Order: sequence, then structure tokens, then C-alpha cells
Amino acid sequence: MNTGDVMKKRELEERTKRTFDESVSALDAETLSKLTQARYKALEQLKKNSANTWRSRWIPACAVAVGVFVVMVFWQGQLSGLSEVQTFDVVALSDLEILLGDEELDMIQELEFYAWLDEQAEIVPADGTEGGVG
Amino acid sequence: MALAALKQPAYLPREEGKLGLGIEMDTFLRDVQTRAYRITLTSVRDADEALDIVQDAMISLVRKYSARPAEEWRPLFYRILKNRTLDWQRRGIVRGRVISFFGGQEGEGYDPVARATGPSSENPVETVARSDAMDALENALMDLPRRQREAFMLRNLEGLNVSETATAMGCSEGSVKTHYFRAVHRLRELLGEHF
Repeated sequence: MNTGDVMKKRELEERTKRTFDESVSALDAETLSKLTQARYKALEQLKKNSANTWRSRWIPACAVAVGVFVVMVFWQGQLSGLSEVQTFDVVALSDLEILLGDEELDMIQELEFYAWLDEQAEIVPADGTEGGVG
Repeated sequence: MALAALKQPAYLPREEGKLGLGIEMDTFLRDVQTRAYRITLTSVRDADEALDIVQDAMISLVRKYSARPAEEWRPLFYRILKNRTLDWQRRGIVRGRVISFFGGQEGEGYDPVARATGPSSENPVETVARSDAMDALENALMDLPRRQREAFMLRNLEGLNVSETATAMGCSEGSVKTHYFRAVHRLRELLGEHF
């Protein structure tokens, strides 16, 4: 490419650039306003990004903490023997039976009376007849 | 940091650490928005569509790349913009085929009065001359093959360097130089009488 070509090339680049720049400067106010609104909408994403960053950091951290806690509980249970865990389960199950049973609440509220009644039933009288309560 | 000392606009996030990023991103988008719009308008020839494409590109940049270094934003933004424009053009081709298949005519409902730019207070002779030159440039650019047009618009009109243009176009720096050289050569032929 000779010097003349280089000059013409440079001239074309400058002219096209100037024409383009002038057309950019001549954009009407309505278009500029719409572009500004578009920019605001885009920048709204920064807020969403920061919220997502918070979630993406804390949710896995909380999940790991809960997992570690569960593992620790079971590990402790194994160390202190399975019998305690089983006892706990049995007690919990018996409580569930009471809570889920069809018995009326009055009966549950008078548990002491029924416990006494139960004890009386177990006492066998000397004459061999069953039941100590008339 | 000097940026943090600036007054923060109400639309920017208020958390600490995001302040600088918000202002930096705002400054960047403010800097590129009008030129990006004008370059997109050259490709799509529809003001509303050009605005939508620019907005999509801005949102996509902030959503996906705001954590990247600020020096990378410009080529990434223009890459997104280029892809969005290309998607729009492809959709237009498909839409045109579907419309012609059903016997319609693409461009129905186009209202040139509604699309016309508003009145301007500047010298009408200058406005017409500038408009003519820009029209000639736009027509010549649209006559170029797509890759040559992209290389010329990004390198010369947007002012990206060869490396940034290569990133934006998704090709090597050598390809950018080749496309740009051919674009200038062809434009000289097409614009000889106007420029």
C-alpha cells in the first residue's frame, strides 16, 4: 500500500468516525431518556446479584451446619450405647400412642385415678376372688 | 478510594463494597449506551428493537459479568450486543419466511410517520447534510459482509483496539485485521462520492 492509499484510508476512517459521532450527538431527548431507563434497569441487576450472592453463600453454609449437627447427634448416640436411643424411641412411641389414641381427654387427665385402679386390680384378695374394688 | 467519595445515585445498590462497583458500572454503561444504540440501529434499522437489544445487552452484562475486571466489560458488552443483534436478525428471517408462507407481507403495520424522528431546533441544512452522510454510511455498511461490518464498526466507530475487537467478535486478532482491511477497501469503493 503506497502513501496515497494510506492517506485515503486514514481520511475515510476519520470521515466515517466523524459522521458516526455526529449522528450519536444528534440523538433526540426521547431516545436518550429511554437509554437512561434501560441503564437503570440493568443496574437493578446489581441488587439482585448481591441478594443471590447472599443466598448462594448462606444456604450451603446452613445446610452443612445442619448436616454436621445431625452427624454429631448420631455419633454421640452410638458412643453412649444404642440402648439409650432405643429407650428414647420406645418412650417417644408410647407417648405417640396416647396422643393419637381415640380415648377421651378426660381419661388422660385422670391418669392418677386409673393408675390407682390398676394397682387395685393387681392385688389379689386372700379369698381368691378377683378385683379388690367393688 | 476516589469513587466511593462520589455521591451515590438512588438507583445503585447501597451495600458496602457494591458502591464502587455500582458507580463504575453506571459510568461504563453511560459511556457506551448512545454509541451502542446507534451502532445497533445501523444493523437493525428499527429504533424500538435497537433499544430493546441494547437494554438486553446491558442487563446481561451486569447479571453475568459485573464481577469481572472493568477492563473486560467493553469487549464483553459488544460481544453480547453483537450476539443479540444476530439473534434478532435470524428471528427476522424466520418471521419473514413464516409470514410469506401464509401469504402476508413483512412490514405490514409499519408506520413511517410514527417512526420518524421528532423536530430538531438545529440548522435544517446541517441536519439534512449530516443525515445524508449517515444514510450513505449506513447503506454502505449494510452492503459489507457481516464480519467485515462488525470489524469496521467495532474498530473504527466504537474505538475498540484489535484485541478487544477480537474478543467481541470471537475470532483471532489476525482475522480482525483482515476483515478490517477488506472493509475499509470496500467502503472506499462504496463511499467514494460521499466521503
